[in-house]
Amino acid sequence: MASTAAVAAQRLTKSYGRHRAIEGVTFEVERGQICGLLGPNGAGKTTTMRVLVGLSRPDDGTARLLGEPSRLAAAVLARAGVAIDGPAFVPHLSGQRNLELAWMAGGRRWPPPALEESLELAGLGRSLGAKVKSYSMGMRQRLMLAQAFMGAPEVLILDEPANGLDPGEVRTLREHLRSFADRGGAVLISSHLLAEIELLATHCVVLNAGAVVAAGKLEDLLGTGSYEFEVDDVALAVAALRAMPGVRSVEARGLRLSVTAPQRTVKELNQALVTAGVGVGAVRATQSLEEAFLGMVGQNDAAR
Amino acid sequence: MLRVELATQLRRVRSLILLGVLAGIPVLAGVTEASKAGGRGGAATFSALNFAESGLNFMDPVLFGLIIAVFGSILGGADRDWGTLRYLYVRPVSRRRLMAGKWWALVICSALAIATFLVVTLLTGVAVFGWHPFHRGGTGDMSPATATWAILGAGGYLTICLLSIGSIALALGLLLPRSVEALGISVAFVVGSALLDNVPSLHAIIVILPVHYWLRWTQLFDGGGGGLVAGLVAQLATVVVVLTAAYAILSRRDPAA
Repeated sequence: MASTAAVAAQRLTKSYGRHRAIEGVTFEVERGQICGLLGPNGAGKTTTMRVLVGLSRPDDGTARLLGEPSRLAAAVLARAGVAIDGPAFVPHLSGQRNLELAWMAGGRRWPPPALEESLELAGLGRSLGAKVKSYSMGMRQRLMLAQAFMGAPEVLILDEPANGLDPGEVRTLREHLRSFADRGGAVLISSHLLAEIELLATHCVVLNAGAVVAAGKLEDLLGTGSYEFEVDDVALAVAALRAMPGVRSVEARGLRLSVTAPQRTVKELNQALVTAGVGVGAVRATQSLEEAFLGMVGQNDAAR
Repeated sequence: MLRVELATQLRRVRSLILLGVLAGIPVLAGVTEASKAGGRGGAATFSALNFAESGLNFMDPVLFGLIIAVFGSILGGADRDWGTLRYLYVRPVSRRRLMAGKWWALVICSALAIATFLVVTLLTGVAVFGWHPFHRGGTGDMSPATATWAILGAGGYLTICLLSIGSIALALGLLLPRSVEALGISVAFVVGSALLDNVPSLHAIIVILPVHYWLRWTQLFDGGGGGLVAGLVAQLATVVVVLTAAYAILSRRDPAA
């Protein structure tokens, strides 16, 4: 049965010549979710996004947006906001004129429904009337985001949207995306800024060498390997955990223990502590997305 | 899409320079002729209508061909050069709509080029040589009204002729990685065709080249015009074949390629 998810990639495979860019990529993004698409350079993130918005034809598999097949210039794309492969505008026209022409190219009457909100996000002020060729990288990026938002889309496909933005602009973008998802929108966002994705995403898909190596809720992906325990007897807890197979390291700081045990679940660790007679006050995963990411794709791949 | 194409292309400095060149050539020729010491010479100086006819003869085929090749190649390739093509596809704009918009923009550019040239030529001619009957040497003069219709007919015919080269440049602009490559090949085609047209032994090749028919508008000033139909058929056939082929290739090609 065809997926009704806001974004659905089903067994997507795409090769360029002999190079297989992606193979069997499958994931879904539901409404209300912000899904980070992560992976080292060449992992297939942009290819996946291109296929999802019809800019590349898959050799196999299907791409769907809002339950409808997505192909080049498919009607469903009118309900999507897309920023892919960086900003691109007609350089000798103003930012305002570029937005107008981009909107009218789709056969619609100016102005678009979410123009004010998108211009607020762009924050270009008077520069909106200046020629785009005079814009900085950050200004072009913000104009591109305004273009993606102005049609009040139901789904956003954003490839590296924070490139060239300063910290304040990144924060504004984050707030807009959260608000968009809270209103039922779906976001698929690729980024190299893992800390930003960690702050923003509800879900993640990790690609490596063209294949999905992990997918799911962000908290599930982070919760594999590193934990912090608050205990009442540090010495006993350290001894119990160090005696446990699969526990790589245990470090104590006051009444807190930092534990690294990729092959153990938090439940197993907690059980070991309780069995040893240690009182456990609180437990939380402490692995950063960066650590989780490096663990998933392999440090060598990520460092390449 | 037509509105988008026109808004995008006609404000370009490149387009304005081309239209300026088209307007500047007759003004320069008229001023040069008017300032000649010792009287004027040549058929072009008999009247504004003769001046316009001579102007068309001067521009056709190479200079008009070069100008429309520039328009065609930038219409076809500018979106790719700027990177905006992907954003048009996701608006969404289908390939069919995209090509239709570019084609009609080319028609307008072609008409605008010819109209600009003719209007400026006639105005300059009136100012420098006056409005008199069209002088035809031994066969008697043509009345201003008849000659005006002949000029308009020639302009219309040339507008359609330019569409053949314009379409070739447009198609190449759509298919090649950069519009400058499309321009180079189109210009080579125009110049090569014009050169081949002077080699009678290559008649079998020459007759299938659209440029071969471009000077047939002169028949309108000789009281004829029967050869124009073949010329129009050749231009329209070129347009249909080239654009159909370009659409077929684009449809089979991966958009990301």
